[in-house]
Amino acid sequence: MNLAFYPGCSLQGVARDYSGSIYAVFRHLGFDLTELADWFCCGASAAHSLDEDLALALPAGNLFLAEKAGRDIVVPCAMCFNRLSHARHILGQEPVHLPWPVKGQAQVHDMTRLLSQPETLARIQSLVKRPLKGLRVVCYYGCQMVRPPRITGFADYENPQTLDLLARATGADVRDWSYKATCCGASIGVSRPEVGNALCLRLVDKARQAGAEAFVVSCPLCQMNLDKLGIEAPSQAMPVFYITELLELALNGRTEPGRFRMHLTDPGALLRGRGF
Amino acid sequence: MTAMTPSVSTPHLLDPQPNGLLAEVEQAVGTCVGACYQCERCTNACPVAQFMDVKPHQVIRWVQLGRRTQLLQSFTVWVCLSCEMCTTYCPNEVHVAGVINHLRQSAAPAPPAIANDLALFHRRFLDQLRYFGRVNELWLMAAYNTIPSILKQKQHSGRLPTEARLGWTLWRQGRLHLIPQRSAMVRQLHRFLEKETHQ
Repeated sequence: MNLAFYPGCSLQGVARDYSGSIYAVFRHLGFDLTELADWFCCGASAAHSLDEDLALALPAGNLFLAEKAGRDIVVPCAMCFNRLSHARHILGQEPVHLPWPVKGQAQVHDMTRLLSQPETLARIQSLVKRPLKGLRVVCYYGCQMVRPPRITGFADYENPQTLDLLARATGADVRDWSYKATCCGASIGVSRPEVGNALCLRLVDKARQAGAEAFVVSCPLCQMNLDKLGIEAPSQAMPVFYITELLELALNGRTEPGRFRMHLTDPGALLRGRGF
Repeated sequence: MTAMTPSVSTPHLLDPQPNGLLAEVEQAVGTCVGACYQCERCTNACPVAQFMDVKPHQVIRWVQLGRRTQLLQSFTVWVCLSCEMCTTYCPNEVHVAGVINHLRQSAAPAPPAIANDLALFHRRFLDQLRYFGRVNELWLMAAYNTIPSILKQKQHSGRLPTEARLGWTLWRQGRLHLIPQRSAMVRQLHRFLEKETHQ
């Protein structure tokens, strides 16, 4: 399978560490992961909120680039995945005026769904060097990855499983909970921190009730919002792992030095306490 | 199904209002707002309903009633996160989040004072995108936080120390970049945007 990696703006900036762990895991699994050349921002919620033309033109441009390269797109960020999938959906439905001659042929894969396909999952299970036994986690999907189901293709949008399957494959103790896809507030925390923090603190509260001691996420914005409680409300914060960080740890037995250095809620004590 | 059989996909079950809001929204969003029977499931599912002045089920009712001005001045359309809980759980397939997003796009040229900061953030984000084709978080936060009204608001709310600490931590960790990355496709994008504005 020829894959073009669409990192999105976050993975080049504040979520640089996420990008590192993704490359490490894909390399370990033997996937060729080439960055989509010349890609641009998906427009995120700003284009969606203010400018409908731009909200379609931007992701469609990325689909065009992938088509030209003859590759399918793999996307780690939930928002990018949502916007690209949305554009692909529209292109398949109606003729639209766009600056690029795009057909919408390139597939858009959510990274967790790609990795949790049965064969890949079995490979991960067989390659695990160091099971993360005893690490109690809940998987948090956020909204843009699973909703709306007609666009994202997540049939189990109320109780998604891709992250759960992957986290379980690392040997972690994955807890079930009811807030897997309840919004973390996205970018609202920038202008209205009281709203963003209220949403995130509720998630922490529900995760603790489920017996978890850490979150597992795949969306860089969800990670940022939950992780930054380490600065906003340190007494209540809980470590937030990217799924690929746990996979890297389980597959390699160790992570690249300094991998967890960029977390705002330090997971060091938790990991050392479990002997990882 | 004949034209006489009502269905959730039959557009426009109510009489048109003089200002045509219902017809406009239904046409633009591609959903049947008239199908809402006020079960309030959208509002119960909404994670930010407590912060809204007009609750999601009321938004739908107000669209049916043609209350355009009140809707465009509401805080609701700006606090909505487009998480699509409402749409997903609507038993009548009303695209509530789509309706709110349409109203937000309509309200964008003149947002109410109470939501000015939220609208400004989206605008600064799009500015970044227009310059570089990508978004650089340092430039975005600098552009947003140096708007006088925003800076003043953060001073008053006592947020500055926390945000400075957050910004400094991110900088020290090497997660913010001074030099923005640019997509090579950005020229093509500009040409497209120019054409859009000239039309």
